Amino acid sequence: MAGRRRKRLDLTTPGLLGLPLAWLVAFFLVPIGIVGAYSIDVFSIYPAKHPVTFAGWDDFLHSAIYLKLFWKSVRMSLIVSVLVVLLAYPVAYYLALGGTKRKYVLLLILIAPFLTSYLLRVLAWKVILGSNGVVNSFLYWLGVRAHDDPVSQLLYSRFAVMLVLVYVWLPFVALPIFVSLETLDRRLLEAAADLYASRWQAFRRVTLPLSLPGVVAAFLFVFIPTVGEFVTPSLVGGTSGYMYGNQISDLFGTGFPDWRTGSVLALFLLGVVAVLTGVFSRFLGMRQAGAR
Amino acid sequence: MGEGEELMERRFSREDLLKLAAAAGGAGLLAGRAGAADAALARLAKESGRLQVMDWAGYEVKSLWAPYLKKYPGEKPKFTFMTNEANAFAKLRAGFKPDVFRPYVGYVRDFAESGFVQPWNPKLISNFKNLNPIMVKAGQYNGKQYGIPSDWGFDAILYRTDKVRPTAKSWSLLFDKRYSGKIAWYDDLNQLVWAGYYLGFKQPYNQTDDELKRSQKLLISKKKLVRMFWSSETDMQNAFAAGDLWIAYAWPADWVAMKAKGLKVAYMHPREGPLSWIGMFMLGKGTPRPQHAHAYADAWSSLQSSSWLENNYGYGAANIKARPTSSDLLKVLKLTDPNAVREPKAHIDRYMPRRAVYARLWQEVKAS
Repeated sequence: MAGRRRKRLDLTTPGLLGLPLAWLVAFFLVPIGIVGAYSIDVFSIYPAKHPVTFAGWDDFLHSAIYLKLFWKSVRMSLIVSVLVVLLAYPVAYYLALGGTKRKYVLLLILIAPFLTSYLLRVLAWKVILGSNGVVNSFLYWLGVRAHDDPVSQLLYSRFAVMLVLVYVWLPFVALPIFVSLETLDRRLLEAAADLYASRWQAFRRVTLPLSLPGVVAAFLFVFIPTVGEFVTPSLVGGTSGYMYGNQISDLFGTGFPDWRTGSVLALFLLGVVAVLTGVFSRFLGMRQAGAR
Repeated sequence: MGEGEELMERRFSREDLLKLAAAAGGAGLLAGRAGAADAALARLAKESGRLQVMDWAGYEVKSLWAPYLKKYPGEKPKFTFMTNEANAFAKLRAGFKPDVFRPYVGYVRDFAESGFVQPWNPKLISNFKNLNPIMVKAGQYNGKQYGIPSDWGFDAILYRTDKVRPTAKSWSLLFDKRYSGKIAWYDDLNQLVWAGYYLGFKQPYNQTDDELKRSQKLLISKKKLVRMFWSSETDMQNAFAAGDLWIAYAWPADWVAMKAKGLKVAYMHPREGPLSWIGMFMLGKGTPRPQHAHAYADAWSSLQSSSWLENNYGYGAANIKARPTSSDLLKVLKLTDPNAVREPKAHIDRYMPRRAVYARLWQEVKAS
């Protein structure tokens, strides 16, 4: 009897995990393996036979240009992620702990932009930031700028990319922070108040530390996709807003395809993101273990 | 097997084979047998499925291939878009099999050697005799007609005459610091080519390592003056029309489009010479619809389609008999001169043995 039960348990786990694992292997690990094979010329888009070579990796690691572009993208993405978290936190805090009865309605309103296309939301900024856009027209009307002299850095610039990314990701980031604040044990705040902690002290010593997992998750939610972002920069970035993701996209599809270098760049990005995610997860795990 | 026969090669269905065999075996015995054979042969000549065309966005317009629809009523081609030759190459590599696609002349040899295409049979294209012989020759590789020329034009400089005062008729307008932040370059490796012409190199399409480094250095040093590298013509036109750009590396159609929007614009042919290009129809290898494919290229080459192209897109047609109705267009775009496309008047796009090096260096310009 006991043996039969054990057998059933043995089948349940692979039964539940089988499909997701197969999915992961087929649509994540195998494609990464293929990209890896392209990066060392095991596969090549050119018909002629090529010997296996690590030249692509060597060129990349010795290329100041590509690495510089990578750090530029990391910097832009970090700024965007920090800004988004800073802006989203008060919103999530108000919704979760502000005591409003309509918090779920407000939350719905917050994520309402998701009902429109991503592309449309990005393109709408062109209307706002262009030389004849809303901002510049307002400045002309105020007399601050002449019609011949618009603020040109508003569009097709690094600023435009970061502004649009902040706008696009803000609602998305508010959600994990909201969830972590919503599940906060209110009795801890009451205990802090009983122990004469001010509201600021209670926030700093109780609320913030306990919501950190949500904050870190939110940060990663923005950082991981934006560091490899290429749609927004290609639409509003111009030459100065060009990012690492654009370079990958271009290497695969523009001018003359260079899938080897494109694969190297893509794998490097994947590696860095994986390491960063690991570091953050470990940090979170340590914090949670410490809290226990 | 001759080229024409090869094109006509078909897969015989079991039914067709049986009917043909029956007809052959019983010839003279039954009058109906001959009729059955004719029907079977007619069916064999009839190609199945819609013609698959891979082209640049904007070229699916019916006016460009209307005669095709007259020949094959109700059989509208199915269009897939390519964003550039690399994109087309990637699609072919991924297994997509268009019957017809249309890269530019510089890639004829690349595609011919790729194994994804087969030569055309010019005898099946009635308008072939009217195509510009210079362009027809440019479509040949190893003595075979791999490319059927469709249209041609220049890569030169579009600028606002009410905002910009060029100091010289030169490519240098693309990095005139007086107009910093108002300039657009095209996102393509041929930016290294115009830089090579500006720097006075002998073979800008085949620069040495040292020359390429110099061209790249020029572009990197001037990049800060450039607002955007455009890859979508629509994006560039929108930015130009909105006043975000005053100077752009552009095609003749952009001049037409900006004029239509009421902007004061000029299309400058730099003294170093504009670059020029020719669109080339290529035939997919083993296409199951060769007759349709030839009819499609033929329709594009017709006087009707060619004139429409010139009037509406501002590009020259490969059909030398075509003329735009606007004399302005005729003059500015030099559409009357069959030699305008080639040296010494313009530097025609061509096979680049070092294209991969150019591509890498251009990527570095963008990443720098």
